[in-house]
Amino acid sequence: MARLTRGALLAVLCAGLAALGLSPAAAAPSDDTGLVRMMHLSPDTPSVDAYIDSVSDPDVGVVLPAVSYGDVSAYRSVPAGTYTVSARAAGADPQSPPVLASTVTVAAGTATTVAGVGRFAELGFAVLPDDLTPPPAGQTRVRVVNAAAGTPSLDLSLDGGTRLAGGLAFAKTTDYVDVPGGASTLTVGGGAQLPVQLADGSVYTLLVLDRDGGGLAVEPALDAASPGVVPVGGVETGAGGTAPAGAPVGRIALVVLTVAVLGLALTTRFRLPRRGRPARHAAR
Amino acid sequence: MLAVAAGVVALVGDPRHQDRQAPAARAEVPPAPVVLAAAGSADPARPVRVTIPAIGVDSDLVDLGVDAGGALVPPTDFARAGWFAAGPVPGDVGPAVLAGHVDSYRGPAVFFRLDELRPGDRVTVERSDGRTVQFAVTRVARYAKDRFATDEVYGPTADPQLRLVTCGGAFDRSRRSYLDNVVVYARLAQ
Repeated sequence: MARLTRGALLAVLCAGLAALGLSPAAAAPSDDTGLVRMMHLSPDTPSVDAYIDSVSDPDVGVVLPAVSYGDVSAYRSVPAGTYTVSARAAGADPQSPPVLASTVTVAAGTATTVAGVGRFAELGFAVLPDDLTPPPAGQTRVRVVNAAAGTPSLDLSLDGGTRLAGGLAFAKTTDYVDVPGGASTLTVGGGAQLPVQLADGSVYTLLVLDRDGGGLAVEPALDAASPGVVPVGGVETGAGGTAPAGAPVGRIALVVLTVAVLGLALTTRFRLPRRGRPARHAAR
Repeated sequence: MLAVAAGVVALVGDPRHQDRQAPAARAEVPPAPVVLAAAGSADPARPVRVTIPAIGVDSDLVDLGVDAGGALVPPTDFARAGWFAAGPVPGDVGPAVLAGHVDSYRGPAVFFRLDELRPGDRVTVERSDGRTVQFAVTRVARYAKDRFATDEVYGPTADPQLRLVTCGGAFDRSRRSYLDNVVVYARLAQ
């Protein structure tokens, strides 16, 4: 009895949800993969082969060969789970002990950057979660990594004095900040100015690198992108040419109305007075 | 490995502490020159055709924009799909959006069978730069238009993704509008 009631309730609930547009498909979780990429941000560390191996499944893994200082790999899609991230000298036997290893957990629907940071002597992996939430309208989202060993304290600001990094130590990363999108000027340290183009709705990591032959190079890495203009609401993509003659609710209403009209017609037939005579119960 | 992980924590540290050194930093000038590393040049490509073999779709693409109220304007041609041109190009990073009608005033339109798509089905987009990009469907969702999942459909993604949008659910004859949108999510096929 209780089971029957629950079943009926469930049916009602499903119907209600369907009516609200919350179909089972809409409630289903997104596919259970996440994204991972690698950055080599250690100026004096030679080129490495990077390995991302599932802890639970030896058959799941990604190899990024010959990653050099300043390189940003493409994002790779992996099943959600825990991974061992390791680095070996480029071309080294995959079975040889890695120069560096760590673990990172990848959740479904997220993106994670794993960066090799610091000087070779103190090399470490920094696990940087990438922000995939929408920036406010007309804004772009930026964080900074100081990967320049020659700059122990980095200042970086954008047009109008928006500070992106203040006294940022080597091998460290700032939090993300939201800034106006579009063309802008980046001021580095004492006053060097660089024109940058940061698209509305996008998310960036600005890598500040030691440059071959001295000086600094600023490399914008795109973390994520979205439309600069986000449409409001849904889309009117149907004219109704294949819709049933009436919506279900309309059809039921039609049936009720028909029955009511018929019933009314039947009753009134017997009650209708003959023309020209007063009705029996007519008020006087 | 535990020691290495601890080292990572020490190296990365707490970003809130970075500001402590700010006053000292003023005296410091990074060595010149400072240059901008070559960023990927703006890609002027646009998508020109979408094909979805599983449901018999083969359509060239028109550009779509938003109206004064900010709503996405659907294609005027019922037989053609459109690309939201203020958003990412299919194959570039981000959620590229294609929209098409489910039906016209008389019968089926270009995306009539969109809700038949299942995870794994392929969607191919040809671009004006000659690239052909293959996407794989990850899921199909339906949203009431007044509860449209804007962040999920248009929010940032770190990889190239695709959204296919059409109408679904009951048709409101008084407003001449379907109550729901069907959204197909797809990502670059590996």
